[in-house]
Amino acid sequence: MTRVSGRTTLFFILAGISIALLILSSSGQMAPIESAASVVTRPFLAAFNAVGQRLSQVAQTVGELNTLRSLNQQLKSRVDTLTIDNLRLTEVEAENQQLRDLLRFKQLNPTYDYRGGQIIARVISQAETNYLSSLSIDLGSEQGIARGMPVVNEQGLIGRIDKVGPHSSTVLLIIDPSSGVQALVKRNRAVGVVNGRAGALPVMEYIPMDADISVGDEVITSGLGGAFPKNVAIGQVIEVIRHDYDMYQQAVIRPTANFMRLEFVLVITNFKPLPGQPAELESVG
Amino acid sequence: MSKGGRGLYLGLLILGLVVFIQGTLFSRVRVLGVGANLLLVTVVCWSLTRNVQEGLVWAFAGGLGIDLVSGLPLGTSSLALMPTCFLAGIGRSSIYAQNLFWPLLLVVLATPLYGWLVLLTQQMRGVPVDWLGSTVRIVLPELAPNLAITLPVYPGLRWLAGRIGVPVMDV
Repeated sequence: MTRVSGRTTLFFILAGISIALLILSSSGQMAPIESAASVVTRPFLAAFNAVGQRLSQVAQTVGELNTLRSLNQQLKSRVDTLTIDNLRLTEVEAENQQLRDLLRFKQLNPTYDYRGGQIIARVISQAETNYLSSLSIDLGSEQGIARGMPVVNEQGLIGRIDKVGPHSSTVLLIIDPSSGVQALVKRNRAVGVVNGRAGALPVMEYIPMDADISVGDEVITSGLGGAFPKNVAIGQVIEVIRHDYDMYQQAVIRPTANFMRLEFVLVITNFKPLPGQPAELESVG
Repeated sequence: MSKGGRGLYLGLLILGLVVFIQGTLFSRVRVLGVGANLLLVTVVCWSLTRNVQEGLVWAFAGGLGIDLVSGLPLGTSSLALMPTCFLAGIGRSSIYAQNLFWPLLLVVLATPLYGWLVLLTQQMRGVPVDWLGSTVRIVLPELAPNLAITLPVYPGLRWLAGRIGVPVMDV
């Protein structure tokens, strides 16, 4: 009879437990344990993340030293020009104030797409593995956060709440391969779906072949499907992929949000996704 | 405290540190668009330095930890990490096992194995997987940062293993 080694036995025991956990976790039955763990790990994640941000900033500054030197020279010469421009900007400021008033009016208008139900959340960790594009924020069910709520920042769409703990939540980013956002091109209203890609920029798919898409076009949420509010900026077209043999064309999108530099995000708490939205799947490529 | 008990607590402490460092510091440092997988390198190096059984336990516990902080379904990373310990088991019997070349080679083998197992797990759960794209954009580029961190991690873990005591022989 074949003798099974100790390590093989151990492997099968641990693999069996892992598979059981995977099945339970995928069906949501491990949610209470995952929530409890998020409560325990949250302060550690926040502390380590703060250190990570500092180190990242230092590394970036060192890397940019040469560029900064030459940039400094250019900036000095521009100071004179800007002094003159400053006078002109004083007039623009008055105009800007009027525009702000208009914007405030638009924000208070009931037909506006996201109506002020936003909570500012601090990003406590992000993109822990290369196979999942997500981040954790320091707000959870205790603060009214629920699964499916859209997450934005001042630059545009960030993603959607995927998992919720009592005091922290996981946001699935729009760059994750399992994320799909109904979108349209702002200039000509051509519709499509922005899908994330593993390790690459997201791509807007299912754009009709007759739609005129060009580099630089702005892409916003269409609100179709009811998963995200309308008119939130997603990104800009940087490449158009069109083949004669395809039914649709594609556009590679550079998101307006810088996902590596997120510190604060807004969770839109009063937006109700339409029922029947497919559950977000976890990432991968 | 016995050496076994000290080793257990030390192991848990190291794993906890690795998981948090992986989830925060390493997620911000990217080479070729991907971050280093500190947990994978640690598990491979520990399996090579100590033994496969300990490596399996580290892979299981560390995998659960990284899944908890990253939002992946529990068990995904453990399942992908544990088979990589057996690669290290092959390496332990080699005469080159004491050489830094050997962990580097094992990391080269373990990195794609881990990546493809994660992708396989996800596909079996019904998530659409772009195998070629993920291999080109994540699995292969991940080799560079993983190899880079192996250089300090392996000697560090060898030193630590030496402090804990004589490793148990593989069964």
